[in-house]
Amino acid sequence: MAELPESHSRRDWLLRGLEVIVAATVAVLLYPVARFLRPRKQMQSGALEVVAPFRLNQLKLQAQPPFDFDGKPCLVVCTPEGEVRAFNAVCTHLDCTVGFRADHGDIFCQCHLGVYDLHGRNVSGPPPRSLEAYKVTLRGDKDKPGQEEIIVSRTT
Amino acid sequence: MTVIPRFLPSMLLAALVAGPVCAADEPPAHKPDEKALRAPALKDKVPLVEKENKCILCHGEKDLWEGERRRLYVSDKDLAGDIHWQKGLRCYDCHGGDSTTTDISKVHSEKAKFLTLKSRKNIPELCGRCHSDINYMRQYQPSMRTDQLAEYRTSGHGKRLEATGDPQVAVCTSCHGGRHHIYAVHDLESPVYPTHVSKTCATCHSDPKIMEGRQYHGRPLGHNQYEEWKQSVHGKALLEKGDRSAPSCNKCHGNHGALPPEIGSVANACGACHAKVAGLFANTQMKHKFEEVGLPGCATCHSNHLIRQPSDEMLGMGEDATCSKCHAQGQHGATLAGAHVARTLRAELDDLSQLIAEAETKTAEAERLGMEVSGPRFDLRKAVDARVNARTLIHSFDPGPVGRALAEGKQAASEVKERAEGAMHEYTARRVWLAVSLVPIAVVVLLLLVYIWRLPIPAATTANAPGDPTPEGRPPDNMERGTI
Amino acid sequence: MSPAPHDVPPANATFRQRVRCFFGERLGLESLTALAAKKHVPIHRATVFYFLGGMALFLFGIQVITGILLALYYKPSPDQAFESVRAIMTEVDYGWLIRSIHSWSANLLIGVLLLHLLTTYIMRAYRRPREFTWITGVFLLGLFMAFGFSGYLLPWNQLAFFATRVGTGIMGAVPFVGHELLLFARGGENVTGDTLARFYAVHVVILPLAVFALLGLHLYLVQKHGMSIPPWAAAKVGGERNVPSMPFVPHFLLRDMVGWYIALGILAALAALFPWELGHKADPFGSAPQGIKPEWYFLAMFQTLKHLPQHVLGIEGETVGVLFFNFCGLVVLLIPFVDYRAAQGRPRHLLNLLATLVVVGFIVMTAWGLLEK
Repeated sequence: MAELPESHSRRDWLLRGLEVIVAATVAVLLYPVARFLRPRKQMQSGALEVVAPFRLNQLKLQAQPPFDFDGKPCLVVCTPEGEVRAFNAVCTHLDCTVGFRADHGDIFCQCHLGVYDLHGRNVSGPPPRSLEAYKVTLRGDKDKPGQEEIIVSRTT
Repeated sequence: MTVIPRFLPSMLLAALVAGPVCAADEPPAHKPDEKALRAPALKDKVPLVEKENKCILCHGEKDLWEGERRRLYVSDKDLAGDIHWQKGLRCYDCHGGDSTTTDISKVHSEKAKFLTLKSRKNIPELCGRCHSDINYMRQYQPSMRTDQLAEYRTSGHGKRLEATGDPQVAVCTSCHGGRHHIYAVHDLESPVYPTHVSKTCATCHSDPKIMEGRQYHGRPLGHNQYEEWKQSVHGKALLEKGDRSAPSCNKCHGNHGALPPEIGSVANACGACHAKVAGLFANTQMKHKFEEVGLPGCATCHSNHLIRQPSDEMLGMGEDATCSKCHAQGQHGATLAGAHVARTLRAELDDLSQLIAEAETKTAEAERLGMEVSGPRFDLRKAVDARVNARTLIHSFDPGPVGRALAEGKQAASEVKERAEGAMHEYTARRVWLAVSLVPIAVVVLLLLVYIWRLPIPAATTANAPGDPTPEGRPPDNMERGTI
Repeated sequence: MSPAPHDVPPANATFRQRVRCFFGERLGLESLTALAAKKHVPIHRATVFYFLGGMALFLFGIQVITGILLALYYKPSPDQAFESVRAIMTEVDYGWLIRSIHSWSANLLIGVLLLHLLTTYIMRAYRRPREFTWITGVFLLGLFMAFGFSGYLLPWNQLAFFATRVGTGIMGAVPFVGHELLLFARGGENVTGDTLARFYAVHVVILPLAVFALLGLHLYLVQKHGMSIPPWAAAKVGGERNVPSMPFVPHFLLRDMVGWYIALGILAALAALFPWELGHKADPFGSAPQGIKPEWYFLAMFQTLKHLPQHVLGIEGETVGVLFFNFCGLVVLLIPFVDYRAAQGRPRHLLNLLATLVVVGFIVMTAWGLLEK
């Protein structure tokens, strides 16, 4: 630092004030950087994955409506044997949203009476193709069985 | 085709003109018995050997059959595509007669069980000989239906044929490919391949000359059904999109038992696919009123052949609305209360459509600005689904259920709109925070400038010459402060 | 502050002084502080130009920091690149800010570098003994333009994809080695995932290392030779020794900081008001978007090449253009030797004329490129 005349206390205060404010601005700059570094929700693994907004026990209790998977509705069903399957809930006929029919144990489209079995295969009515199937992974606590999280991801 | 002996034409001429002609008499190697005529058993079939099928020798020779007798000529090409010929059936299996000889006195003799077809009227029965016999058809296709002839007899075609022998009426060969080139239905060449059915019906039903003067239940048949159907949702779905679930003529009118559905059963025909709507409609007062008055159910509002994509404009009491066609002038006993319901339903539906459009616009705007809106986008689907549901529920003509469905949709749409607006606020917030952040920057800059102004540049320094660390010389006097 | 090392701090030393002694004794920072104290900046009419180097350094620092942050979320594969940038813009906290600052700062940096080049030319700062400072500087400019070109492809959107295709295609116009160059740049015949991987490695590893090395040399040379004083400034006061100056620390540094803070404010404003576009994901099999153009610093060259005639004297027009640009670059690189009389203060009328033509041509072609649809 260059030599400063001794008695310029006003300049001292100016300098001190400057130091404080500069330090403050640098700290403020670090705030968005710190927020940026924190991981964002959902993307925990490599591929597109979505955690269903309900757990396994909720699904077994009551059929759950389709939720958002990559912009499309995703239907998760539980077979009588207890297997959990997930499908793209857009009907392959004319794009209505399909739903699980508990009394028939199948997947049903009420627009033109399309019926799919629990493998997503089109078994009756106008749908020309099976429903697109997704991969299901269960993730849960050892000491809380039955309450696993249902993670849906693409098969490829 | 074998080479015909030169003298045969003259022989035949002699035969036709002068009665039986003496020709070489060969002993029949295969004598069709009574039972075989009725339904030839597979085990009786012999592999095709030309000499056992001498019918072809004459009937395959084009030059022999001129003018009006042309219909007795059977070509190679015909038989190649014919499903019966492919399965091994031969001329005698349908026509009987003696195929082992060319003795003109014997070939078409009654003794040889030759079946003459005196007129078109006999064709259905001829086909029905085999096609109505499940024991026979089981040998070829166990799951094939054998009620076609019975159905045909109940159809408009069958009844007219029976009553008047009308030569224009459709018989089996009219639709299935022709007399000697019948195609299987699943064959792309078949006139009744699912995507070809309508065109086949149209060959007669769109021809004004054929349809002239024809009536059903006192009303003229007309000839515009195919044109109308082609422009309809169903026609476009089948012909343009290849959607095989879309109905062609046979789906609503029947295949062999072809008849228009009765006035009271129109809704059932539509309901075969549109079950939810038909179910709702069945419980309404309107359905009963329609039946009383003789209006054709669904077709009253949606037309029978020219069924267009329904729009919200059909609902309500506007000038072009379908409801006002009756409810405006009270025709057919249409009530004012009904008109009110129509108005209400339309208004509420429009409200929801408006909300959805607004939510959609706001979401698109937020997205354009770079905000993350895939969540709201997805939830808007719920509102759209609710609207589809509401539009279906309209067929209950009851404001209650429709209102509830619409309310669900309105809530979803408003939520989406709110979230999109939230995203827009976030965008604005960024700009506000930017302005705010410029304040400390400005303060720092200001303070720096003040400090710099007040900081004197040491008087005794000059620019550093290379290799000369010590300052020399006198600087100008105005170096105290404020320079640069 | 005394340059002498402290073995033991004096009894009444403040906390600050103790800390300084602690580190001074162990790290020997006195040589650095001595150097800093020695550095002076001449004061004359063109002193403002001296800010440009520091501004470029500041903007480069911003690029390094924001670049590192972006690299934590960016995925360099054709199926994931665009998505990851979209995620940065919409899902990561302040991702939109970091990304937009990175893109805007890149453009500002190249603008500042071009001004820095121009002003050092005007001030004839390449005179003996500063020829290598100039040469390293010109190479640095090339490296930064490579930074811009390679970074542009990384979002893998339509504009980037096709701009890269065109740009690497132009490389193929170099005679003899053109096709080899193209294959090397693209990692194949076409722009594919291999190109993306290559550009990513170049942008994130190769160029930073090269720039750090060259920049280190450049800054060392600047320190060694000190700031160049234009001949007319020296003449005014009767010799370089008489030119007044200010110490770099703190006087010039404080002025630098003013500029840096203003630059920060401008970047923040640009990022918030004009966020960098995401575009549409690249579709290699689709047709190029209408009116595709490279970034403004390549635009003059692109526009010239676009409007050159098909053939010039029997050689393909594009090849002529590319060769001409390479020739210009070579001349710029060797200006210290072309203007060998600079040290003696002799005028350089021809060179000035050419320089004016080049600058005017650059401005005109860039403007034309921007205005053309």
